Amino acid sequence: MSKIEINHLTVDYTEKKKSFTALKDVSFSIEEGEFVSVIGSSGCGKSTLLSILEGINTPTDGEILINGEKIKGTGTDRGVVFQHYSLFPWMTARKNVAFGIKQVNHSASRSERYKIADEFLDKVGLEQFKNKYPSQLSGGMQQRVAIARALAMDTDILLMDEPFGAIDAKNRTILQELLLELWEGASPRKTVVFVTHDIDEAILLSDKIVMMTANPGRVYRELEVPFDRPRNRSELVQTREYNKFRNNLLSLFYSDIADKIGGEEVVL
Amino acid sequence: MNTPTNIIAAPAIKKDSKLKTEFFRRYFRVVHSLFAVLILIQFLPDKLTTDTYTSYVIWFAAGAELFTLILSALIKKPASLNLFVDIVAFIYGLLIAWTLATAKFNILKASLFPPPGKVFWQFIGDYDKILTNIQSSVGIILQGYLLALAVAVPLGLFLGWSARLGSAATYISKFLGAIPPIVYIPYGIALLPTFRSVSVFVIFLATFWPVLGGTMSGVMNVEKKTIDSAKVLNVNKFTMMFSVILPASLQQIFIGCNQGLTVSFVLLTSAEMIGAQSGLGYYIKNYSDFGDYTRTIVGLIVVGIVIVIISFIFNTIQKYLLRWKT
Repeated sequence: MSKIEINHLTVDYTEKKKSFTALKDVSFSIEEGEFVSVIGSSGCGKSTLLSILEGINTPTDGEILINGEKIKGTGTDRGVVFQHYSLFPWMTARKNVAFGIKQVNHSASRSERYKIADEFLDKVGLEQFKNKYPSQLSGGMQQRVAIARALAMDTDILLMDEPFGAIDAKNRTILQELLLELWEGASPRKTVVFVTHDIDEAILLSDKIVMMTANPGRVYRELEVPFDRPRNRSELVQTREYNKFRNNLLSLFYSDIADKIGGEEVVL
Repeated sequence: MNTPTNIIAAPAIKKDSKLKTEFFRRYFRVVHSLFAVLILIQFLPDKLTTDTYTSYVIWFAAGAELFTLILSALIKKPASLNLFVDIVAFIYGLLIAWTLATAKFNILKASLFPPPGKVFWQFIGDYDKILTNIQSSVGIILQGYLLALAVAVPLGLFLGWSARLGSAATYISKFLGAIPPIVYIPYGIALLPTFRSVSVFVIFLATFWPVLGGTMSGVMNVEKKTIDSAKVLNVNKFTMMFSVILPASLQQIFIGCNQGLTVSFVLLTSAEMIGAQSGLGYYIKNYSDFGDYTRTIVGLIVVGIVIVIISFIFNTIQKYLLRWKT
């Protein structure tokens, strides 16, 4: 049995009396401890898919099973990091993390929650910023807090919706490596579903890449990422295998787009 | 050959002059010249034939000046010092104009516009009575106001959170809020046990609608991403309401609270007109009915001071609770 099974998921939206299909018959499964990236151009329904996994949206048809059970709404088995900072602006970094811990662990006392929060804030390199409000932190730091909160909640599954999408290139690289290090270092490893439109990010982090295509949103390809762990970005990008894999992925990515706009005259 | 020494000496001079300007900025201000003018004009001959109690103005001004100088030395933040000094300067300016228009040139009708000295004299004379009245008024306002907050904020949270009730409640509260609370006075007298409770009821109604409206609009404007972030943390309904929705709509709630505070002071006089035997509203109303305008002005000034103090406390609380805003 897979950790997460997505079965024939279909989502129709109705907006201003016009209905459109965001997801059509999407099926794939994710194993326990697997890091899966969902990539695709905008409008392919990857964020819709994740919102159903989060439990915020409900599908028109089909279902998602976690540990064999159909999900109904949000759950304490899933931690979430959004692209746009999911922190509460009226709580300090530490309180934001502690608030997350409180929702999954009601028995922990306030000082215990703070202790765990501090430990995870240390892990993401924010020792100095525990008592700062989100408005006093940069975008990258806010995402570090969001990651610390998701990890501190110690859920089986992590759902990340373009978590580094709004971060500048340099900090994005740093955060990717931080996430890689934290995820690879944990035992047992968490099951991660990571939505992105960045191919390099997907290759560096994932065990499996699910490529989606738009109108309507459906799965285009599923690819296993064949590189050993622990991974090191600077070593990895120099290998011939990496570049071959990346080029293959890119051509798939663009051939899908070329198919859409109708053919060979499109030069990329 | 002198250049090197100059280079070394220059910063020292600069620092010294900086200290000097800092000293001047702190102690040499327009406010002090206004003080001088205020004192000097007291020695002009009075045109008003009745007693003008000039010495009371001088004592007051001297006290204010001493206080200003002490605070000039104590307050560190230039912005806070400026705020205080500007208020004092405004008071001096007002007293200058007032003294000239009444005691010195007698261009205003003396029975309606007593000279400032007489008002200070009256204030000291009525000191005990005024304190009791402040106590009574603040008691009524706090009771009505806090009661309104205690009911309107939870109700607004609940109504605003329910999409269907919220949109209906917005219009209903607009309709009911537009009715001036004094209209309810006869009903209050008929239904409530004491006159004092009727006064509290009027303040309650004056505060209730703006706070309810502010809370509802605050809740309805909470961003979806804030609610989603809370949902994925699997919060229960109570936590969602009081740890997420409430702080997220706090700024709007405060806007309503501020409006309510202003209206409740405006209505204080009306509220205390109903059979009350004490209170600042009663004091003002009573003496203006008897044509004692010195006491009426004393009452108005005291109400003003009480409003300023309460607003200051209110703003301090607001600033603290919204300290996370940039």
